[in-house]
Parts: sequence; structure tokens; C-alpha cells
Amino acid sequence: MKLQDQSVWVDEKDLTQDPIFIEQAQAEVHPMSLESVLEDERSSQVESNRRDFLKLLGFGLGAATLASCEVPIKRAIPYTVRPDEIVPGIANYYASTFISGGDVLPVLVKTREGRPIKIEGNSKASWTGGGTSARAQASVLSLYDYNRVQEPATVSGDKIEKLSWADLDKSLMDSFATGAKVRILSHTIVSPTTKKAIAEFTAKYTNTKHICYDPVSSAALLDAAQKCFGERVIPDYKFDQAELIVSFNADFLGTWISPVEYAAQYAKNRTVHAENPKMSRHVQVESHMSLTGSNADNRILVKPSEQSAAIAHLATALGISSVPSLSLNDKAKSALSKLADQLKASAGKSLVVCGNNNLGDQILCFNINQALGNIGKTVSTARASFQRQGSDSDLIGLVKEMQSNQVDVLIVWHANPCFDTPLAKDFSTAMTSVKTRVSFNALMDETASMCTHLAPDHHYLESWSDAEAKRGLYSLVQPTINPLFNTRQAPHSLLVWSASPNINGDSEQAYYDYLRANWTQNILPKAAGASWDLCLHDGVCELPASGTAASFNPSLTEAAAALSKPAGTELELSFTESVGIGAGQYSNNPWLMELADPINRTVWGNYLAVPIKFDGDRRFIAFAEVNENGEMVDLTLAGVKTTIGAVKQFGQMEGTVSIPLGYGRTKAGVCGSDIGTDFFPSLKIENGYVQYYLTDVQVSNSSGKIEKNFACVQHHHTLGVTAVETSTGKTINADEAALVDDAFKPLTKGYQGSLTKRSVLRQTNLKDIKESLEHLQEERKEFQKLNSYTLYPGHEYKYNSGHHWGMHIDLNACIGCGSCAVACMAENNVPVVGKREVSRHHEMTWLRIDRYFYGDVEKPNVVYQPMMCQHCNNAPCENVCPVNATNHSSEGLNQMAYNRCVGTRYCANNCPYKVRRFNWYDFTAADLFPINQHNLNKETDKPYYAENLIRMVLNPDVTVRSRGVIEKCSFCIQRIQEGKLNAKKAERSLNDSDVKTACQTACPTGAITFGDMNNKEGVLTKKLENPLNYIVLEEVNVQSVVNYTMKVNNRDENLYA
Amino acid sequence: MNCKGLFLTISVLFLNLAVLIAAPNPDAGKTIFKNNCASCHNKNMKDDLTGPALGGVEERWAAYPKADLYLWIKNSQSMVTKGHPMATQLFSKWKSVMTPFPSLSDEDVDNVLAYIDGVAKGTYGAAPKDATVAGTATGGAQAKGASGAWIYYGIFGLLAVLALFLWNIMADLSHSKALADGNTTAKKKTFWQLASSKAVVTFVLFALILFGGYTTVNNAIALGRSQNYSPEQPIKFSHATHAGLNKIDCNYCHDGARRSKQSVIPGTSTCMNCHKAIAKGSNYGTAEITKIYASIGFDPTTGKYIENYDKLSNEEIEKIYKKWIGDSWMKDNSKSSLTEDGQHEVDHQWNGIVSSLTNENKASVSGPIEWIRLHNLPDHVYFNHSQHVTVGKLECQQCHGKVETMDVVKQYSPLSMGWCINCHRETDVKFKDNKYYESYKTYHEELKSGKKTSVKVSDIGGLECQKCHY
Repeated sequence: MKLQDQSVWVDEKDLTQDPIFIEQAQAEVHPMSLESVLEDERSSQVESNRRDFLKLLGFGLGAATLASCEVPIKRAIPYTVRPDEIVPGIANYYASTFISGGDVLPVLVKTREGRPIKIEGNSKASWTGGGTSARAQASVLSLYDYNRVQEPATVSGDKIEKLSWADLDKSLMDSFATGAKVRILSHTIVSPTTKKAIAEFTAKYTNTKHICYDPVSSAALLDAAQKCFGERVIPDYKFDQAELIVSFNADFLGTWISPVEYAAQYAKNRTVHAENPKMSRHVQVESHMSLTGSNADNRILVKPSEQSAAIAHLATALGISSVPSLSLNDKAKSALSKLADQLKASAGKSLVVCGNNNLGDQILCFNINQALGNIGKTVSTARASFQRQGSDSDLIGLVKEMQSNQVDVLIVWHANPCFDTPLAKDFSTAMTSVKTRVSFNALMDETASMCTHLAPDHHYLESWSDAEAKRGLYSLVQPTINPLFNTRQAPHSLLVWSASPNINGDSEQAYYDYLRANWTQNILPKAAGASWDLCLHDGVCELPASGTAASFNPSLTEAAAALSKPAGTELELSFTESVGIGAGQYSNNPWLMELADPINRTVWGNYLAVPIKFDGDRRFIAFAEVNENGEMVDLTLAGVKTTIGAVKQFGQMEGTVSIPLGYGRTKAGVCGSDIGTDFFPSLKIENGYVQYYLTDVQVSNSSGKIEKNFACVQHHHTLGVTAVETSTGKTINADEAALVDDAFKPLTKGYQGSLTKRSVLRQTNLKDIKESLEHLQEERKEFQKLNSYTLYPGHEYKYNSGHHWGMHIDLNACIGCGSCAVACMAENNVPVVGKREVSRHHEMTWLRIDRYFYGDVEKPNVVYQPMMCQHCNNAPCENVCPVNATNHSSEGLNQMAYNRCVGTRYCANNCPYKVRRFNWYDFTAADLFPINQHNLNKETDKPYYAENLIRMVLNPDVTVRSRGVIEKCSFCIQRIQEGKLNAKKAERSLNDSDVKTACQTACPTGAITFGDMNNKEGVLTKKLENPLNYIVLEEVNVQSVVNYTMKVNNRDENLYA
Repeated sequence: MNCKGLFLTISVLFLNLAVLIAAPNPDAGKTIFKNNCASCHNKNMKDDLTGPALGGVEERWAAYPKADLYLWIKNSQSMVTKGHPMATQLFSKWKSVMTPFPSLSDEDVDNVLAYIDGVAKGTYGAAPKDATVAGTATGGAQAKGASGAWIYYGIFGLLAVLALFLWNIMADLSHSKALADGNTTAKKKTFWQLASSKAVVTFVLFALILFGGYTTVNNAIALGRSQNYSPEQPIKFSHATHAGLNKIDCNYCHDGARRSKQSVIPGTSTCMNCHKAIAKGSNYGTAEITKIYASIGFDPTTGKYIENYDKLSNEEIEKIYKKWIGDSWMKDNSKSSLTEDGQHEVDHQWNGIVSSLTNENKASVSGPIEWIRLHNLPDHVYFNHSQHVTVGKLECQQCHGKVETMDVVKQYSPLSMGWCINCHRETDVKFKDNKYYESYKTYHEELKSGKKTSVKVSDIGGLECQKCHY
């Protein structure tokens, strides 16, 4: 039986009838079994009796009386000499650049009273357009990470001896001076000034070599570019100029090279106008469901080892000669042949990218683009990207050198080779042969803890630096806070050690002088009309594109030799990079740890994605007999057995499984250590390139035991509904029944199915857009006719005067990257709660991104729906509050007064969108009672927010909520009030730009628009006129003010025929 | 109790009330005098200074209506121009006009005159102060509130007396009736019998519970509020001197008020704008101003900032400022060396500096001055000064009281939510002057058509939770 194409589902439990799932989906919090409560070690803590009650009562009364006797003295401490630019209470923004290895993003840093508290995108950067990533948003928290290495030190064994910088310099310069063989090991470095410093160091100590690798390598792409274009750079891809995008395993929206840039380009051709329906088509060739694959219109499933075969097949179909023919599954073969025809039709307006770390694959892709006439159009080198520079063979060479005791000094620069390379184990062993081992790393990580000298670098928010992410697109990094610890910038250290004449040791800001001198000499003269001050103000300095188009060298013979051969094994595994924590670089950032994986929605851990298939009747069968998500399986990789939780994954190709890298760190700090499992040791190196797949894989059948505290948020706060089946009288999940039972089919026509007869998601195909539009409008009319009553007739009068806030979310632009979710946490002091609490449905996120599948269960499409408080005009939460803690404002906001809330949670229960969150603990350590507080993951930790340093990240304009109150999205009321006040002070009317919510500014694709619906000239008003708009659950007449645009895909069924 | 007693009670009560409402308050007068008059008029009221001795001023002006004296004090120049005989006479004698004080009310002038009279006659400060008068202290609003309460107490007392009086008559009547009915043994009910009757006991108990509950609830609501909080600050900084006498604009030091949520406690660097030149105060000499220097590291002897001041130890700092205080003392007392008295004074002042600039969290004398915070809002309240000062165009005094008359600042307003809300109910939005409000089209139409006469803050959401709580 073929399932309906118009159906939407969350996971297979949603598609079958599973009473436990229904129960859990209906419950607002996790219904815990008695056994799980009893076995919980914490339950002993809360044991109490009458005596305790009386004690507490007495103490409470006494404390209240005592507290009322005396006014505690609070001090008001002004500046001694107040800096000109600081007015307490007003935020300052500084243009800077987020740099973490190859992840580069021009940003604005919001500081309050000298503390950075929020990252915004810098819209002056032409290539990002002001978007941000989840990682950039979260980077402000890592500044206050109390696990950072705080001062220079020497380490011998377990003994850490602190010393001054001067002493450290002295002891190190002795080891350099003897003509020692020095190796500097780093991830990608994009800073031209840093490179100059390295060059100076290398010039002084001539036996030095700088080795660069990337934890998830793009070495093959770089080497292919070297062969084809004569330059070892990442070419400039223009997704916005492509009608047809084909991606071979490149997760360009999530993790590959420069996702924010690519997402911004990509979204331009994905938003649809009803009058002129046109959009690009995106075909993803992969085995696992990546973030990019989930956004694709069509997915062609090939096993990881078949990637070369697939590319070769396409190349041959496009008429590229002398490409070896490799065996490939028939479905893919046929699809790729058809795809070749479509590509030919879009010659010059198509783009083929490849994420495989295989030289042959990459060269072939360049040749495909060349054959299609895309080179110079959608692929060029004029604005080549420098965001990946790593070389796998250099790293391998270094390990060999160390193994043969040839290295005297190793300087590790924010790299963690003892964890994030397949050679981690060899590296750790070989490293001990190096006499002097210096670490610039911020944390006492796996590598730093093996070093002899610690020379901690500044955080980027404390640094002066620069970046050239793409050729000629410079940006500056400027400090936004005085260094918190006794750290020194890494390139500064290098210059000191090389006794450079260009660095003035007496200067207060020696490295600033050095940076500025470099800019004045080398960069500013190239930019017409640019000055240092201007560049510092703007944060960016963009030179006109230069360089001639290089001649193209096909290099096909090299490609043919390097292509991988299909393994033909039964099961293959692909390793993926996590959108949040990368390959482990961001592990100690709890905002990213608790950011749900976009696809399988798990947090705090990595899980094996196993395929699932429909048995043609009523059952879905998952691979390895996994019944429940989180069930443990034994995974054997090349003979090494690991026990790991599995999640059932739609879109995962049969005969393949996948797992994210970056977890399982042992020395990441309080948040990152001992979370998940490390798979770097299983990675193989072929032809000198790290391969992110494995063919020697066995997975045992599920043990049936679910991982402890397994946390997957997709079923939390779900909008699913049950229904009573009239014939049997049984309660069933109406959504799934609609999918599998013909009797229910009429219900689902034209709708999404997951929530039968409930308009949560609407989607259509581009060619059906007219029909769907008519249907939508008819239905909306019916809803509005049936339910035009308002609960508060007086409010209309108020809404028409002044402001009436509203929001628009374009589901076609949303790619599910999660930067809005992290931005929301940063802006609104939303706490992280840890794995165990998430497993109990206690996560506090105000904004969640729901992921739904739709279409064919075998080849589903995905839609992401950011869901936050809908600020309903007929809000059902308001009239159930017994203390009127939540009520409606005259500007249409659903207000939440924390100090009024008594925690009945009636509102959360009554919210149809399930967006209200209850503070089960004092997650932010807001009060003084330890019993209320909550430890993130380990009993021994103190509450995460109890550390004063971490609390510095809190937004002072937003109340820190304590235990026992409900909270939810406020539409960033603090930003609304600030924007209004600024307009009032300037005595002008309010503009669109005055008020932007945190999620809106964070979004790389502009999917979210917030504004005043009464402003007829505003951007929001224009977006609200889009006939594709709909309101979630409009039929229940809660009159939400958040409009979503119907998801339109450009899926081509012929590819699958 | 008889009629005579009743009338006596009533008249005493009314007399008290009259005193409460009408009597000028020499204490308040003293503050005003110190802030406004003392720089030119002698404090002893008997000798001339820049201005004439003020003792007996009311007698000298007795020939004219009291209004003339009020006007003379508030704006002498206008009277000279108008050619008032007394005014021209005084002007020709003293050749200068007095600074105008338009802000003083007639009541203020009365208070000052009462103080002048008291000092001149030697009665002020000598006799124990009238308890009721002292209780009402300063501030018009409070005086009104207190006298209002007294009226209620008065009426209550009056009614109680009346009730007793009536009961007495009733008892007499029922006694006579019993006698008339032939009950010869009947006795008139005593007051004790009344007081111990079931009805009265029940009533009293009920009243006590009601009163107790009311007081408890009110006090519980007021918990954590600190109206009139007036702690001693590390520096005896007088707003009366700075804002009152020297008329420095509030926004000069509190420059955040017009643009930020915080009004901002000025940094020491702001103090130095003036105190680089003014090294000695009128009240405390070097004792207080040296604290600013010790905070920021300014050496008044050389007139220069001390380099690397934050790295100096307290002992090194001590040397610098003890020298300065000692030198000033010698100069002031025309001594060539520091006598024992002088040394004592220097030590005393230095100890004051150390105890003011250091506390349990701050060991060094150098660095910021840690003031005691007066106005403490709960953490869940968002308040923005600029909204009120720049947009609402409120005077600082509306919430902070007449700070320019306060030597030691106190929290003038209760800062309770009710207080905020009341003002939002009553205050008009500057609706027509600010283009921002143009988006409130309905209100503009209603204003035009006369349906509304004004738009209050509450009309544009001033009472809604998330205007202040988020």
C-alpha cells in the first residue's frame, strides 16, 4: 500500500497506533513510572515528613519576620572615571567577527556596562547579509566558561605550576633558541595578521612548519581545486544563481564550509510568490538525512561507498569521457540519468557540490560544473573562500615525524588532535616524544592536558584580530571586554617568542598596534576610501572582486584513480557533523548541547540513526528491531564494539546507518565531558584523506533497554490529538489513523495529516499551488465564518489604535538550523536544564523548531516549523489563570507576569500550541534555597548558573525567573519597549527597524518577520498579504497573530519513477 | 460625665486641629533658611552680613499687608520696580536686590519667618518642641495626610463621647422609669456594667480583630518598602548645597536620567569637573572633599592627578592626603606648624576618609565611592528614567521630592506599585507634541471630536503588566 502524499507525520509512532505514544504526547510533562521515580537517586532528597514541614514552616515565618526587620544595605557603585562611551543602562554594539577555526561570521556584539551579552549578525557583510548561526549565537556563553584555562602555567604530570608570562616566555625561548624543530598545529586560520605573525615566527625559527587541519576535513575539495583551478582554495559557490542544485553529501545548510552564507543565498530562490510561482529545485544525493537533505525537494539515496559511483554516473551521463563505470543501485542510476537531462536544461544556471572527502569525487564535480558551463557563473574562484584550509596529509606527516622523535616543540593552537582526528590515539602517544608541548587552547582539553606549557589565548570577544573569510572580504575582530583572565593572544605570544621588532612590548595594546600597522600597510591601501576607523566601525572592509578566471584543468586521470569503489557490504555507516557542537569544538557550550538535533530532535548525546520502513500494511519496522527511540544496540565498527542508543530515522537509506561525531569527549569541561560516544577513532584514512563512512559495520538487534535519560524533544509539547473511533469506541491517534486507514482518508484531503482536521502544517507542490491556494482560502473562509467571535470585544478598539504586534514565518525560508532557538535563549535568559530534565519534558525553550515529515514514507520531505507563543487574541491560557498572571495587552501581546504567577500550570495545560514552560527547579539559581536548585548533569556539580561568571551573560533587561512560575515567549517585549522608547525620544513614528525580535535578527534566511500590523507601510503588512499564509489551528478560533506561509516544494516525482 | 465635660473635650480637640493646620513650622523654616538665606543673612538674626539682620522683620513690615512681605521675599526686584515705599527705602540703603525665590510658597515663607522670630527672640531650640507639631515635620503632603487622620480620630472621639452621653441619658431614663414603675430597689446601671456586657465585649473583640487584620495586611504589603529611608552616606554630600544653593541641574550629574533607564550615580570624574577648583567645602572644610580626591587620585597640593594611583598602597595614599589636610589646617589657622590640635584634626579627617572609602569588600582607599543605594526596586520591575524624564517631561521632584532642600537625601516616594499605577491613571500623555503618538489614530480623532479631553497614560497601556514586568 502506498501512503498518501499529502500526509504529515512526526515519527512512525505517529503513523501507527501506539497508545503509550498517544498518552505521552497528550501529557504536558513526562508521565514517569513509579519504578523510575524510586530508582532515582534524587528522590531521597525530597523525602520529608511532618516534622520537616513544621520546621520549614517555622523557618519560613521566622525568615520573613527577620527579613522585614532590616532593610539590607545595597550599594550603588559608580565608575571612578566613567568611560565616555558607556551610559549605564544603554547597550553598546561593537562590530566584530566570530572566528572559531574555519567558522567565520561578521557579527555585532551587544555589550551592557562592558559585558558582552548577545551576538547579532552584521548586515554590512555582503556575503552573510547579517545572518548568524547557532554556534555564533552561543559563542558569547563560552566567553564566561569557568572551565577556561585562566593563566599561563607549566605542567608536569598532574602538577600544574602557575607562572608569569615573562617566566613562561623565558622558559620557552630557551627551547626555541637551539635551532629546534618547531611544529605549529592549528585548525584553519583565516586571519591575515595572524598569518603574518606566524610568518615572522617561522622566519626567526627557520625550522618551523605550520600545519593546519580541519576536524571535519575538506582537504580533498581543496586539493581538487588546486588541480583544477591551480589554487588550493574553496571555490565561491552561488546558490542564489542556480535553478537546479545537486549536492552530493554536502550539508551546505548545516555544517559544510559556510552554512550561513549558503543558506542566505539558497533561501532567495526558495521563497514562493503565489502570483508567480517559481523556485529552484534542490536534489540531495546521500544516505542519511542531513539538515540540507531534509530541505531538499528530491533525495537520491546512495550508500556512502556508492558516492563515487553516483558522481561518475552523472558525469558519464553528462558526456564526460574516460570516467570509470562503477556499480550503483538501480533507483539511483535511473534518477541520476534523469537528473542529468535536467542539469543540461539548466546549463549555466545549475550547481553541483560535493561534500565527500575524496579527491576523485571532487575533481569529477568540478568537471560536471565545467561541462554544464557553471564555472565562472555559479562556481568561481574570484571570491574564493578561505574558510577551510586543512590538509589531512600534513597531519599524517606530523604524526609520523613525532613518532620518529623528530619534533622538538609542538605548539597546539585551538586544535584538539588528541580528540578530533582519526589519529587521536597515535597522536597522544607520539606527542609524549616531543620535549616541549605548548597549548594555546582555551580549555584543559584532551590535548592541552598533555602539554607541558599552557599559554592560554584570549576568547575572540577579548581579542584584536582580523579575518579574510573570502578573498577580498575582510572583517575585523575587536575586543568587547577586558580579558577576564590572565590570558594573552596567541599571535602576540608568537611574536614575543620570535622577539619580533614589530611588536612593542611596552605598548599597552601591543597586538592592536601590530594589527593596525598590518592593515595600514597591506589592506587599507587596497580599499578605496576606507580608513581604519571606518573599517573598525563597520567591522568589514570589502575590496572589489579581483583576479582573472583561471584556466580549467580537468585532471580526469587523477580523478579516475581516486574514486572509491562500492563496498558491497550489507551495512554501511556514515559519520556526520553535529549542527550544534560541530566535531566537538563547541562541546562545553550547554546552549548548543541542549539545542535539539534538527532531524532526530535528540539533545545531550549522539545516537545511531537506523532506517525504518513501512511493511505495506499497518506497521513500521525499524532496522535492528528497534522499537523505541533510545533503545540500546551494539554497534561493531571494524571489530570494535560500542553500545549506543538508536533512533529510528525516516529518510535513512536501507542498509545504512549514521552517527554524529564530536560527542564522547573526556576533557571538555563541566558540560561537554562524558556526553555521548566518541567515534573519531573509527574513522578510516584512504588515499591520504579521512573518510567519513565505514563499510565494516555490524549492528546487533536492540537490547530493548532504553538509554538512561534519553532525551528527544520531538514528542514533547506536541500538538497531536486523539479521537474516538466510533465503531469500536476506542481512543486512537486520529492523525496516524488517517494515514493508514482508508476510512479516515477523506479527513486528510489537502491537509497535513499528522493532526487530522487540524491545520498545523500546510504544504503543497509547486505545480499544485493554484489548487492548494483555492483550497486554503476556501477553508480559511469556512473557519472564519464559523468562528468569528472574540472573547474580548473591547480589545478591537484598542488594537486599532497604537500598535498591534504580529509575526510572519515563511516556512519556505526556514531551514531548521536552530540559530533562532539559541538566540532566544541568549536574549531571554532561558536556562538550560540538562539531559535528565529534558527527558522529563522540562526543557525551557521558548522557541522550538518542530520537524514534520510529509510525502512518501520511503522518501519523505521535511518541513520545519518554528513554534513559539502565538499571542492569540482569544488566548485560552488567559481565562484559566486563577490569579490573572497572564492577560492581554492593548498592543495584542499575551503578557506573563512572573511575580503574579502561583504555578497552577492551568495555562500550559490549556495552550493549544504547547509553548508555555514551567520552572520545575530554580534553574538559574535565582534564589538562595539549595533544595530548589538543580545540577545540570552530575550530582557533584553546582548549579550551572550559580557561578557568577556565567551569570554575566544574563540580559539585565529580562527578569530571571525562579522556581514555580510559568514562562513563555514574550515577543521580546524588552526590545519592543526599547524600540518604542527610542522612537518617542526622537519624537518620530515607529519604524520596522526599531523593533526586531531576537529570533528574527538571528535568522540567516530572513524567515521570521516581526512588526506592527497597524503600520500599513511596514514589511510585515506586505508579508501578511501573501495568499499562501495560514494560521495554525485557525479553526479553534484562538486568533493567533503569527502567520505561517504554506510550505511549497519543488519535488519532481519523475526522478523516482 | 456631664455637658460641661463634653464641651471641654470637643473644644480641646478642635483647638488641637487648628494648631495642626495653621501653625508655621520653624523646623522647616530652618532648612529653607539654611538652603536659601544663610549665604547672605546672618544666622544669629541680629547682625548684618551681605544682607540685613532679619530679627524683627515682621514688626518692621507690620505697617503693610502680609502679602507685601511675601512678595518682597519671593521677588524683591519686582517691588522695587513698582515703587513700594518700604522696598525703595531698603533698596536705597542696601544698593542691591535679593535673589528671587519664586519656588517658595507662602507657607514656606511663614515657616522661615517663624524660624527667624524664634532665633531672634531666643525661643527656638530652647523650649521642648511641641510634640504634635514636630510629628508632622516637613512636606505638605504628609502634613495634610496626618491632619486628615486627626480629623477622623477627632470625629471618632466625638461620637464616642456622644454615645456615652446618650447612654448616660438612657440609663437615667430607664432608671427613672423603673422607679416610676414602682421598682424601688432599681439601681442606675453603672459604667462597669455597660463595659462588661456581652454585646460590648463582642463588639470590642470584633473591632479588635478587624483592626488587627487591617493593620497586619497593610504592614505585610508595606514589607520591604522603605519610604523615608535616609541612610548615612560615605560622603556627607549635600544636595541642598549642590542643587539648592549652587543650582546645579540634576541632569548634570545624573546624566543617565534623560537617556537611560538608570539615572546614574555620577562617577568621581564628574565630581572633579568642579572640585578640581573647589578643594574646601563650606560645611566640612577638607574632611569630605578630600574623599573624592582619595577616590580618584588627585593631589590638591600640586593640582595634578597622581600617576598609577590604583597601584599605591593605603599607606602611600595616607601620606599624600594627610599632608594636604595638615597644610590646609595650618593655613586656615595661620599656624606655621602642625600643633597637637592640628595633628588630631588631620588624623580624625583621615580616619573618616578611610572608613568611608573602604568596606568589607573594598580594602583600598582608591577606587570608586561605594554609595548606599536609596531607591531599590524589586528585581522583576523594569523602570526607565528616560521614559519619564525625556518623554513624559516630569520634574525630578515629582518622585524624588525637593531634593534641592535635602542635606541628607531620603526616599521621598513609597515606590509601591499602587503609587506608580495611580500616577499612570492620572497623568496626561504629551499626546499632541510627540509625533510618535500619531499611530494612535482613534484617540486623535476622539480628541478632535471632543469625545476625549485628554489621553491618560493608562489609555495607552500604562496599567498593563508587561509595561513594567518582563
